[in-house]
Amino acid sequence: MTHTLSNRLQQPDVLETGSAGKSRRPRKKLSHARSQRRAGWLMLTPALIHTGLWIAIPVLATLVLSFTDYSVFQPPSWIGLTNYIEIWNDDVFRKATWNTVVYTFFTVPFSMAIAVVVAVFLNKKMRGRSAYRAAFFLPQVTATVAIAMVWLWMYNPQYGLFNGALAFFGIPGQAWLANPDWALSAVVLVGIWQGIGLKMLIYLAALQNIDENLYEAAAIDGASAVRQFFAITLPMLKPATFFVFVVSIIGAFQVFDLIYVLTNGGPANATTMMTYEVYRSAFQNFRMGMACAQSVVLFAFLLILTVVNRRLTGGDEV
Amino acid sequence: MRTTVRKGLGGVAVALALTLSACGGDAGGAGADAVDGEVAGEVTLLTPIFEGDTGKQVLEEELLPQFYEEYPDVEVTIDYTDYGSLNEKLTTSIASGLTPDVMMMGVGWIEGFADKGVLQDLGEVGIDLGELEGEVAQEVLNAGIWEDKLYAVPTMLDTRFGIARKDILAEAGFDGPPSNWEELREYAIALTERDGSGKVTRAGLDIMTLDPRQMFEVFLFSNGGDLFNDEGTEPTFNSPEGVEALEFIVQLVREDKVEDIGFSSTDADTYPVINGRAAMMVGHNDVWIKVQDAAPEVADELVPFMINGTQEAMFHGGTLVTVANQSQNKAAATALLEFLTGPEASLAANEQRGNVPARAELLDSDYVQDNPMVQFAMENLDKAHPEGGVPEWLEVRGEFGSAIEAAILGQKTPQQALDDLAADAKAAMSR
Repeated sequence: MTHTLSNRLQQPDVLETGSAGKSRRPRKKLSHARSQRRAGWLMLTPALIHTGLWIAIPVLATLVLSFTDYSVFQPPSWIGLTNYIEIWNDDVFRKATWNTVVYTFFTVPFSMAIAVVVAVFLNKKMRGRSAYRAAFFLPQVTATVAIAMVWLWMYNPQYGLFNGALAFFGIPGQAWLANPDWALSAVVLVGIWQGIGLKMLIYLAALQNIDENLYEAAAIDGASAVRQFFAITLPMLKPATFFVFVVSIIGAFQVFDLIYVLTNGGPANATTMMTYEVYRSAFQNFRMGMACAQSVVLFAFLLILTVVNRRLTGGDEV
Repeated sequence: MRTTVRKGLGGVAVALALTLSACGGDAGGAGADAVDGEVAGEVTLLTPIFEGDTGKQVLEEELLPQFYEEYPDVEVTIDYTDYGSLNEKLTTSIASGLTPDVMMMGVGWIEGFADKGVLQDLGEVGIDLGELEGEVAQEVLNAGIWEDKLYAVPTMLDTRFGIARKDILAEAGFDGPPSNWEELREYAIALTERDGSGKVTRAGLDIMTLDPRQMFEVFLFSNGGDLFNDEGTEPTFNSPEGVEALEFIVQLVREDKVEDIGFSSTDADTYPVINGRAAMMVGHNDVWIKVQDAAPEVADELVPFMINGTQEAMFHGGTLVTVANQSQNKAAATALLEFLTGPEASLAANEQRGNVPARAELLDSDYVQDNPMVQFAMENLDKAHPEGGVPEWLEVRGEFGSAIEAAILGQKTPQQALDDLAADAKAAMSR
């Protein structure tokens, strides 16, 4: 008879019955639980080391350095809240914050809306479905710098695609990226286009989990495709929507490479973002302490947004 | 909860201790070691020039073999970058303690890095300032001097001045380029062309291909203004001369409409003056090599001219070579610096980029004699003004572009834009 560990746990050990007749089972459970915990920690250790080295320590270091004047060339000196006070009074950072909020406000919902519609269509059986899915996902796996270069050409006032198309209809073109009235919108458009792919993929996966019987029942009741979309698809996608929403907001708040290639924050700070100001503080102004403080402010924004979003949407409760 | 808070505070305390002890390696702590007699070992070179395949070929296949002939025991590891990324490279390398032995950087960069102790005083490693003064124009050499010590030797200059299309000017009845601001404005208005929809098809004066800061500096200097006072304690670009210069620029764009916003940009593929989309421009001396590539048939139609407000002036930047104060091999690093700033290497680097050699002896070289833009720049070096002048310049210059753009776009008056910029500069200088 083979005694497995679980068998031994379930059966009292005849030899270990105590002199007072007390059962030894709780101590065995304790040592098993302890060894399981130890095994768990052991398995977690590589990930913990990685998280500690590359995430926790840099985050804590950023927090600490945000209270210092640190130019890289000389040791940091403690200045308390001076960086944060300067941020509070900085018109450019305020503008960058506003631009970031506007960028997020438009790119996230628009790209989510387009992504869910595209996902619904690409969830149906059709010829070339795989090719269409790949085409929509392609921007997600293309380097942002390459995307920005192409859009730079498309936005060119002299020979760009957009002004060419407008000229075809007799509409005067714009200096899309040089005009402060249009520059942010131009950047938002690129952000929407680039963001569709990943969201579509997540929605596609979530759509597979929706019971087809719901649609059948709705069809029998006479619900149109549009009605089914709003009454069944969207509510059933709520958990995925919450995830996409949070991840998209975090991604939108961290937009940098698009701005770096397309506009460098211009014209006249019309498209500067919080991340771009962090970059400028660190690498153009050599003010690492200020850059850290700006990063902490950005982090705080994201934390608050995530918490508020979870409360408003009810998280993954259906 | 209490335990969690204690653990969190403990973590912050540990991070505080680690961070403050690890950060800010003393950039100047290495001191100036005496240069040993033997030149050997490994040195790293950080260069924002020699970009692309052509540049790499010039450096690695033409120049460095000559260096190795003289110093066979030295091995040079090259880190290529461009001026757009040089800041990041320098910051991260200094912060990580991996400062390159030899660093090439721009005019206006030396003061800040020298002040922070990043750069080696070249006088302490055998570079004779007196000797250089006979070989390099003083105006140019000054860019490498900070607090009376030499920290960098120039290898090339790049200049900004007026460039006109003789053929386009002649069509409009003008004999030659404008000789002062009034003529510049008159010519620019007369030479501007628009299509039926009102869109500019030919700019009378293209000022948008150039970086807005450098473009403003040309007009600032030509109006007798300067960036900072002689003591380097106060910004003076918002002086009446500076405001007048910016007002002139804004008037050209917003009232005279000699160029539309967005007509050109700093990343334009071709200078508009080359393909006839502009009659004149405030441009770079590298227009000569660009026109040879794009439209050699119009090369002879390009004529340089000085921008003249109250004085003739042009802007000059450039590339200088430095040795890191923390270099572990200063003998080899100094040898490499001397080689890169010597006549052969300097000429090759300048030819590759169409730039202006810093050495006066190269004025008679075939390269300079065959390049009218470079020749013009070398002959007018006494009217060239550099940017920089204070250790905080690298921080201040980053704000210039948006200030100039704000004025051109009408978001601020020139006075407001420059006053706000001066306030930012003062704040940086007082830190």
